[in-house]
Amino acid sequence: MERYAKISKKDFNRWLESLEDHGKLYGPKKKDGRHVFRPIKDVKELDLNYISTILPPKKYYFPQKERLLKFKIKPFKTAKAIRKFEEFVLFGVHTCDIAGIQCMDVVFRQEPLDANYINRKDRMTTVGIECLTPCDKYANCVSMGNHVPKGGYDIMLTDVGNKYIIHINSAKAESILRQRSYIKKCISADRYLLDAVRKKKEKIFKEEFIGRLTELYAVFSKLYDSEIWKDVGKRCVGCGNCTAVCPTCYCFDVLDEVSLNLNDGLRYRLWNSCQMDDFAKVAGGEDFRPGRSARQRHRYYRKFKYPIDKFSRYFCTGCGRCSRTCMAEINLTETVNSLIREHRNVSIGI
Amino acid sequence: MKKSKAKVAFFDFTDCEGCQLQIVNLNTVLLDILEHIEIVNFREAMSEPRDDYDIAVIEGSISTEHDIKRITGIRKQAKVVIALGACATIGGVNAIKNRTPLNISLMRVYKDKADKFKTIAVKPIDQVIKVDYYIHGCPVHPNEVAEVFKCLLLGKKYDVPNYPVCVECKMNENVCLYQKEQNCMGPVTRAGCNSWCVNNGNICYGCRGLIDNPANDAQNDILANYGLDVNEIIDKFTLYTAVEKKYVKEIKE
Repeated sequence: MERYAKISKKDFNRWLESLEDHGKLYGPKKKDGRHVFRPIKDVKELDLNYISTILPPKKYYFPQKERLLKFKIKPFKTAKAIRKFEEFVLFGVHTCDIAGIQCMDVVFRQEPLDANYINRKDRMTTVGIECLTPCDKYANCVSMGNHVPKGGYDIMLTDVGNKYIIHINSAKAESILRQRSYIKKCISADRYLLDAVRKKKEKIFKEEFIGRLTELYAVFSKLYDSEIWKDVGKRCVGCGNCTAVCPTCYCFDVLDEVSLNLNDGLRYRLWNSCQMDDFAKVAGGEDFRPGRSARQRHRYYRKFKYPIDKFSRYFCTGCGRCSRTCMAEINLTETVNSLIREHRNVSIGI
Repeated sequence: MKKSKAKVAFFDFTDCEGCQLQIVNLNTVLLDILEHIEIVNFREAMSEPRDDYDIAVIEGSISTEHDIKRITGIRKQAKVVIALGACATIGGVNAIKNRTPLNISLMRVYKDKADKFKTIAVKPIDQVIKVDYYIHGCPVHPNEVAEVFKCLLLGKKYDVPNYPVCVECKMNENVCLYQKEQNCMGPVTRAGCNSWCVNNGNICYGCRGLIDNPANDAQNDILANYGLDVNEIIDKFTLYTAVEKKYVKEIKE
């Protein structure tokens, strides 16, 4: 198959309906004025015109509470908690969230491999949708370079008017496109439309940070003790929303639950966060990261410094969720820009 | 030989007895729990109470000198004490009376008969006796009741969550009430209820009490930013936790 194909909008729902043979369909749906990824039972519920969902799609390959192991106490026995993982199609994912998937992949595919993550992820087909206009004042996707498709998906859809251009990026993608007469080959005029859309995007998507990523690395290397962290910490209420909604936060706690027969149990993992009071506490009550300033700083360093050293990758996708969800109005773009300004001032000796 | 079951008794002090009702509401889960325990005293659910209990489940706060004597007696006999519900664990709604001097509270309620009622400032039960297990909430959540009984029967500690309700609320992917221009005590309230109220369209009132190190100053700023004045903020912070006078003082300062 070619790398590009197209589908007319009038055939779109037909295609969606045909996807049920490839597993459960999940996509963005309206909820209370916001959007959430949910199972799509009727294709009319799918709403591709949306600002980032409350939770990123990570909940499908790294669920909030996930079973890891079954056990019996007497006689002691353990077994797999999940026998069969389901095939599923994650539909309508923004490019920022696809960047999030790529970050998670880097983490969970390190040795030792995370079996649950890989089992889910390998059964996932990702269909992305390209954003054509900036979503709101919270996103910083342009500075992170994630407002355009950069791989990490099976299919990317770009709306070019009365049809979608389909970028085919994997063998899996081919399997959900083939034998459908309404999926057509792209002709050069279609490629021209796609180029035009991208050119237009260049004009309307503006960098949110006042500096480039290369400068940012230097900023974070120098400003660990900046007063800016004190200010952020003072405003932070410690609710943990920012880490829960982050597409690249992957910390979890492992807990055992026993059923009421007091013999059969389940070991599971539960999302956890560096913003929590007990997160960095160890035996004896010592806390390695007390206070909200240090915890907020840690969150930023886990996006803009540590993963660059470890994986050569920024772990901020620019989705804007952390800023959007913060009732204390701590804004990532503002924090980063304040840091850049302070760093420039220090450099020239103000 | 069949293992003898632990004998459990329920006691209530100053409260509405709604948390005991939640025990009855456990339905089939209660039957599963009854495989392991024997209830010997439970006013809401049985007649002919007995006094041979090992485990005391205590609901309600302490608000009279008589309460102190009675609960001290219960503690002497019980091997394990479980505090059931907000009144018992943190003082609860009835601790609002602590916000004003006792004589004024008494006058407000009992008018000219105020001197006939010998009440004291409201205390959660752990200010009088040692408590082994806490089940927070107004009312308690059935799942947590079951969880605490499991821990008790396995002889292990129950870890009450020390993170805020927002954590559970986000995992449930609720739309944040602040984004709906409402306000909520979720950011500083102890989780463990699975954001029960918000899941059902309500706000969090803070019935489980505050987490160990609540960011009161930040929460105060947020509420002020959403249009609440000082008195309204104090009301928010003290609906359930008026026993902890420091919150009232901190905000006023």
